Amino acid sequence: MMTNFWTTFLHTAGRRIRSKAFMISTGIMALLIFGFFQVPALLDAAGGGEDPEPLQVYVEDHSAFEGEAAERLAERDGFVFYEPSDDAEADADAPRSGGVVLSGSPASLDAAFYSIPAVEEGVIEQDIQQVKDQLAAESAGLPEEDLEALTAPISVERVPVEGETQQAEAGSGEYWMVYILVFAIYLIVLTFGSMIATEVATEKSSRVMELIVSSINPVTQMFGKLAGIGAAGVINLSILGGAALAGAWLTGEEAVQFFFDDILNLSLIGFALLFILLGYFLYGGIAAMLGALVSRAEEVNQAIQPLIFLAMIAFFLSIIALNIPDATVFRVLSYVPFFAPQLLFLRIGMGTVPGWEAALIILILVVSAVLINIAAARIYKGGVLMYGKFSFKEGIRQALTLSRKES
Amino acid sequence: MTLELHQLHKTFGAHEAVKSLEVEVEEGAMFGMLGSNGAGKTTTFRMILGLLDPSHGSALWKQERIGYHRTHLFGYLPEERGLFPKLTVKDQLIYLMKLNKMKRPDILTAMDYWLDRFQIQEYKDKKVEELSKGNQQKIQFMAAVLHRPELLILDEPFSGLDPVNADMLKAAVLDLQREGTTIVFSSHQMRNVEELCDDILILKRGEPVLQGHLSEIKRSYDMKRVSIKTDMPLDFLDDAEGILEREDTKLETRLKVENEAVAEKLFHEAASRGFLRKFELEEPSLHDIFLDKAGEENDD
Repeated sequence: MMTNFWTTFLHTAGRRIRSKAFMISTGIMALLIFGFFQVPALLDAAGGGEDPEPLQVYVEDHSAFEGEAAERLAERDGFVFYEPSDDAEADADAPRSGGVVLSGSPASLDAAFYSIPAVEEGVIEQDIQQVKDQLAAESAGLPEEDLEALTAPISVERVPVEGETQQAEAGSGEYWMVYILVFAIYLIVLTFGSMIATEVATEKSSRVMELIVSSINPVTQMFGKLAGIGAAGVINLSILGGAALAGAWLTGEEAVQFFFDDILNLSLIGFALLFILLGYFLYGGIAAMLGALVSRAEEVNQAIQPLIFLAMIAFFLSIIALNIPDATVFRVLSYVPFFAPQLLFLRIGMGTVPGWEAALIILILVVSAVLINIAAARIYKGGVLMYGKFSFKEGIRQALTLSRKES
Repeated sequence: MTLELHQLHKTFGAHEAVKSLEVEVEEGAMFGMLGSNGAGKTTTFRMILGLLDPSHGSALWKQERIGYHRTHLFGYLPEERGLFPKLTVKDQLIYLMKLNKMKRPDILTAMDYWLDRFQIQEYKDKKVEELSKGNQQKIQFMAAVLHRPELLILDEPFSGLDPVNADMLKAAVLDLQREGTTIVFSSHQMRNVEELCDDILILKRGEPVLQGHLSEIKRSYDMKRVSIKTDMPLDFLDDAEGILEREDTKLETRLKVENEAVAEKLFHEAASRGFLRKFELEEPSLHDIFLDKAGEENDD
C-alpha cells in the first residue's frame, strides 16, 4: 500500500517537474520576479547612471526679514542664498527655476516656489516655516530654551485598549501577510485544483486508468497524486520565492530588511502553512473527485466550475473581511470548512480570535477535510471506471453505485 | 482449483449485469469467456480483479479473496486499451511494473526480453503515441505480462491486430500457459477460442448459458452439421424433419440438423435413393454453438 503510494507520488511529482511546461513556466516566472526587483536599479541606470545632483534651491528674499530669512535658510542643506542685483536687467536674467522667492511680513510670509519638485515641497515648506518661527521668536525676545521647547517634536505611542477593536494592534505587516496568504490560497486552489482534475481526467481519457487501478487501490492512487502535485507545487513556489529573495537581496538590503522586520511574522507563517495545507487537502480531494467524474480532459473546466466559484467566494469574502474582521457574519462564516482556511487565518492574523475558537475551527476543518476526502475517494473509485456524458448528479450517483459493495 | 467464482453476482441499480456465476478454473488452464457485447464479460473480469465489488458471491484465487494486497499476482489486458500517450515505452513500463512490486533491474531485463520477442526493440525510448496501433497493442500486452502474473486476464486480446501480429501474440499466450500461467480470456473471434481454450463459458445477458470442456461440449452438442455430395437430386430434403438450415453450393449441400438421429435418418433415406459421393457428419463449430446459444438477438 505504502510503496504504491510512493511510487505514484514520485511518478506524479517527477513527471510534472521534468516536464518542459513546468520548467519553462517556472523559469519564466522566476526571471520575471527576479527582474521585477531590478526595475528601480535599471531605471536609475537608464537615467544617467549616477545619483542625481542634490537639489539646489535658490532663495531670494524680498520679505520684511530683509535677507535674514534667506541667509538662515542658506545655512541649511540644499539652499543657496541668492542676492538680487540692483541691475534690473541682470535681475530679469536671474535663474528663477528651482528657486524660492520670499515676500511679505513675518505675520504673513509668502513663499513663491519656482520649479520645485512636488516631492520636495513639503520639506522646503517645513524648513521655511521653522526659519520664520525662529526669526519671529527671536524678535519677540524669547530665550533659547523656550525656543527649543517651542520647536521640539512630540512623540506618539499607540496603546490598544481592552475590549476595543484590536485592528489597530495588528500592524501593516500582518495586514499584508494575511492579504498575501488569502490571495495565495485562492491561486493555489485555482491552479492546483484544475491541475489535479486534469491529471485524473487525462489518465481516464487515455484509458490507462483501468490498468492502473487494477494494480493499485484507486484511493491510494488519488492521495499519491494529491501529494505528488502538491510537492511539485511546493518546489515551484520555493523556486519563485527564492527568485524573489535573490532579486531583493541584489537591489540592496532595505527591501529585504523591510520584509523580514515588518511583513514576516514567524507564528503567522506557521499558521499560513497549516491553512494552505488544509485548504489544499480539502479542495484537492474534491478536484480529484470531479476529475474522476468526467471522461475527457476537455470537460474538466466545466466540472471544476463549482469549486472555482467556491474559491472565488471565499476570496472575495476575505477581501471584505480584511477591513472588518470582527463582523459577526465573518465570525460565523469562518466555521464553514470551505471558507475557514482564509477567514480563520485572517481572524488570527488580525488578532480577533480567541485560542479556543481557533482550535475548534481547525478541528472542524480537519474533520471535514477527512470526511470529504473519504467521500471523494469513494466517488473517485467508481468514477474512474465510468465513461459517458458528464453530469454532476447522475455522475455522483453512478459512481457511488459502482463503488458500492451491497446493492 | 485456482480461480473460483462462487455465485458471483453484480447489479447496477435495477440492472443485473452478472447473474450468479459459478466458475472453476484449474491452475495452468486456458479459459474462454464468450458473449455478445453487454453480456457481462468485462464486469466479471473487473470483479475478478477487485475493480468492482460483487453485489454478492465471491471471487477467490487459491482460496483467498482477491484484493489490492496481491494485485501483483494478476495481469490484465483491458478491452479498452490505454497507456500514457506522452510517456516513453520504457518509462511507462517501469511505472506500471513498479506498481506490481517489480524492481527496476528486473523490469528492464523482462522488458528487453519482450521487446526482442515482439521485434520492437527500437521503440523503447519512443513515446507511445508515436507507435502504430499494432505496436501499442504489443506494449499493452507487455504491461499485462511483464511481472509474470499467476493469473492473466485478457479482454479481447486479438481484436484489431493483423494476422501476423495476432499469431505472434497467440504464440506468446501459449508460451505463458506452458510456463504455468492460468489464463482467462474473452474473444469475439471463435476461431481463436477454439484454437486456444480448454474450457469455455458462454454468457448471455449476464447469465451463463453454456459451460464446460470445449471438446465435450462439441461432442455432446445435439446440433450437428451434415454435408452431402451426390449427383442425384435431393428433393426429399424439402419434406424431411429436423433440418434447421440448408445451404446448397456448387460442390455440396450443407445442412444443420437438430441431432444425430436426424442425420442418421437422412443418411438411410439418401443411401436408399442412390450413390453418395460423400456423407459427412461434423461436430458443430463454436461459431454455430455461440449463435445457437447467445446469438439470436443482440443484447446491446
